[in-house]
Amino acid sequence: MVKRVAIVGVGMQKFEFRKRETVEEMIFDVTRDALENSGLSKDDIDAVVFGSAVDAFCGIHNSDKVAIDASGGLLKPTMRNSTSGSTAISTPILGYTHVASGMYDIVMVICFEKMSENHAAQAVFNTVYDEAFVRPIGLNVPIQCGLEARAYLHRYGLTERQMAKVSVKNRGNALANPYAQLPMKLTVEDVMASPYLSWPVKLLDTSPVTDGARAVILASEDVAKELDDDPVWIKGVGRGADSVWFMGRRNADLGRLDYAYLAAQQAYDMAGIRNPMAEIDYAEVYDPFTYKEMQHCEALGLCPEGGAGRMIDEGISLKDGDLPVNASGGLQGEGNPIGAGMSRLCWCYLQIKGKAGACQVPKDVNTAVANGWGGMYQYNAVMVLGRD
Amino acid sequence: MNNRVCIVGIGVVESAEAITQFSHKELLFHATRKALDDAGLERKDIDSGITATFDFLEGRSLSNQFTLDSIGGVMKPCDLRLGEDGIYGLFAGYMEVMADPSQIVVVASVQKASERDPEGLGYQKLIADSMDPVFSRPVCKAVHNILGLESVLAAMEARAFMDRTGLSEEQLAKVAVKNLKNANPGDKNSPMEEEAVLKSDLLSWPIRRMTKAKEVDAACTIILASEKRAKDLHSEPVFIRGIGWCSDKSHLPFREQGVSKETKWAAHQAYHMAGIRRPDKEIDLAEVSDWYAHRELMHCEALGFCQANEIGSHIAEGMFEREGTLPVNASGGLLGRGNAVGTSGLIRIAQVVQQIRGQANGYQVSGVEVGLAHSWGGIPTATAGVAVLGKW
Repeated sequence: MVKRVAIVGVGMQKFEFRKRETVEEMIFDVTRDALENSGLSKDDIDAVVFGSAVDAFCGIHNSDKVAIDASGGLLKPTMRNSTSGSTAISTPILGYTHVASGMYDIVMVICFEKMSENHAAQAVFNTVYDEAFVRPIGLNVPIQCGLEARAYLHRYGLTERQMAKVSVKNRGNALANPYAQLPMKLTVEDVMASPYLSWPVKLLDTSPVTDGARAVILASEDVAKELDDDPVWIKGVGRGADSVWFMGRRNADLGRLDYAYLAAQQAYDMAGIRNPMAEIDYAEVYDPFTYKEMQHCEALGLCPEGGAGRMIDEGISLKDGDLPVNASGGLQGEGNPIGAGMSRLCWCYLQIKGKAGACQVPKDVNTAVANGWGGMYQYNAVMVLGRD
Repeated sequence: MNNRVCIVGIGVVESAEAITQFSHKELLFHATRKALDDAGLERKDIDSGITATFDFLEGRSLSNQFTLDSIGGVMKPCDLRLGEDGIYGLFAGYMEVMADPSQIVVVASVQKASERDPEGLGYQKLIADSMDPVFSRPVCKAVHNILGLESVLAAMEARAFMDRTGLSEEQLAKVAVKNLKNANPGDKNSPMEEEAVLKSDLLSWPIRRMTKAKEVDAACTIILASEKRAKDLHSEPVFIRGIGWCSDKSHLPFREQGVSKETKWAAHQAYHMAGIRRPDKEIDLAEVSDWYAHRELMHCEALGFCQANEIGSHIAEGMFEREGTLPVNASGGLLGRGNAVGTSGLIRIAQVVQQIRGQANGYQVSGVEVGLAHSWGGIPTATAGVAVLGKW
């Protein structure tokens, strides 16, 4: 019998560039915060799941192992997940599996990334590519995403101005977020005037290099009901992954994320959601680049396919819009510590609980969706949260 | 009860020599193909895939994104992880099947040690790189030993273990001899004796060339399904009766040397799940990590096969030999077959599955109903996984 799983607490921490804390200290802080928020002690935790994308950022081989003591996971089952950017959501999905399978009742999920401990994050990113064909070209993430953005804008007839509006929205939203690294009051003209990194991606279309961690505590139905009268349930989970060899895929058009549609479909099927546009109240989507938010809104069915431009033009995704997206500031405003993008899930939880502080949207939030994206245009993971 | 989880297919590609004709992706493809054939499945039947690889050993970041195509995981809900031994993939796969019993889950791992120099300085630096950068790493970087940090650290724990149990170097050599003989069952021409082991190069006393497993290339794929689905497949399924995994402190100065607490706790969970009270009586065969000769004995103690003060007499009586009451590493283990770091854990599982099915040609131990597979993360980690498998 598959068990229901709820989120019973989250641990937050300010996202910064060159954080003073070590990896262990970062993890200790969020673990402590999550335990305090949920009213549990470290002895209540049955198992720990870590998520971190790239060890080479912090230069520690098996970086989760050094942090086991700090996570309260000593002499307990601990496991590490890494699916690049989608680690952000696939790690809590692994935690969900721990509880849903009936193996454990209370599981701590910790995602972290210390990206600033090397001389250049983009040099590290070059090591994620195929060593024979792609790496020698000197590919990095802005170039990779420039190609994808171009294909996307072309396929659906969208514009760079629409991309810029996403940046203005997210960085503006981050002004209310106490954990944000890069809150900015911008105009579309500011974004359009920022230098190109890889056409059509401009400096202000990207997210910063960030150090940070997040923790989430998951619990089985019995435990969750004891701790909370109105728990936030994990209603649906979904994952999708496409070939690493993007030139040889069935759908060679980079503009459409088949794997993200696949992941969203699974999550919505599980959650019993047929019309996400009407049934989802709030979304935190993975937005390392402005056009990624637009692509993910389409893949998650928050707007019709190709309709992400109109969504931002009409203000639907603004904080006070009909379907607010990234009211926390997203990766653009809050910071983008790859694996710790699990912050997206934390904010969905906080919005449903009404605990999002100044980021709280002015509407009732009962059902929310978060996603993560990563790899060679490759992985997507989706999680739907909701109350009964 | 129809929701127990079974192993329905295994595929192993391993070689004592460097495999140069295949890339790591191809190795994994061949292992997966074998496993699918074993189970009588096709690529379209795969619902979910899990791989375990280590970035720094592969020399590429996000190394598991390259394994997706080889395991038939394209456009499937793949859930890949790294930084863990392959045996952790089995644990995650077990939970995946328990959470959604309709699934066929593929678990795979690959290691190409021949693409780097396992004994070179680069690898020794890597050992230091897995320490925390503030306290332990500077100390370890200061170890000026041409033979490497790994052997020095292994020697420290071997010494602590020998001091505590009173075991001698000769007794450790017997473990190596047993496993080498097990790995070459038909080979009568070159009798392997303790003499040869004790005369092999000294790396850092008491660690010698032949009491340390040699790194090799290998790939292994294991296919999991629920009991209900397993009934329809053509190979004999093997039940996963208990699983457990655990890590001890990573900071060396704070960790007790010469014991494997992580194995003890992992075994505790696995035995609890499997309902095993007397592992020494109830388990018919075990494949445990013998990365170093002393580690096999340390793990046997932690797994509850014997007490610390009984190890010596058990070695003398041959309890752990293939004909003994509890055969350990009848396949030859890592000392006999070679160690594919990160993949050998899954290979141990495959060995136990073969023994339970009665298909371990040449290595077969008769009447295996319950088998145990164990894996340890290697120097300097304290990470272990234990799986108890049972006959259908």
